[in-house]
Amino acid sequence: MAEHILLAAAALIFLGVLLGVVRLVLGPTVVDRVAAVDMLTVMSISMISLYALVAGRFIYLDVALVYGVLSFLAVIAVARYLERGL
Amino acid sequence: MLQLFILLLCCGILVSGLLAVTLKSVLAATVSAGLASLFAAVCYLLLGAPDVAMTEASIGSGLSTLMFLYAIRKTRDSDGDD
Repeated sequence: MAEHILLAAAALIFLGVLLGVVRLVLGPTVVDRVAAVDMLTVMSISMISLYALVAGRFIYLDVALVYGVLSFLAVIAVARYLERGL
Repeated sequence: MLQLFILLLCCGILVSGLLAVTLKSVLAATVSAGLASLFAAVCYLLLGAPDVAMTEASIGSGLSTLMFLYAIRKTRDSDGDD
């Protein structure tokens, strides 16, 4: 049962990364691409968390934590740039 | 399945790098370069180097994008389109 859940989560992450990359390539405006990058960051965090669970090494969760904080910072920086505030 | 994810991430690095080179908008190219660094960090983690991944995520994806944006803002005119 547990491996089925892990497999379903991996398939959903795979699908999410694929759709995010499609939006990044097709996106006509910059805002579309920034939203796609934010979604791909969330997908990366979930991928790291899933790999920490599968590999049984919970030090990887710290990497996911640092990742979350810094991706938030990057998206805020781009938003401030678009608002002409940076 | 791990090899499949690493292959997906390498394809993501390739697509992001190509977009960073070929896009017309400077801001979109900067964001794509940050995304390439982000995929590279996840790839390092899956290959078993969490400390390298943490450094790459903080410097390559966060600080580098911030510094590029600051440089673009300083060098462009304030009435430019992007």
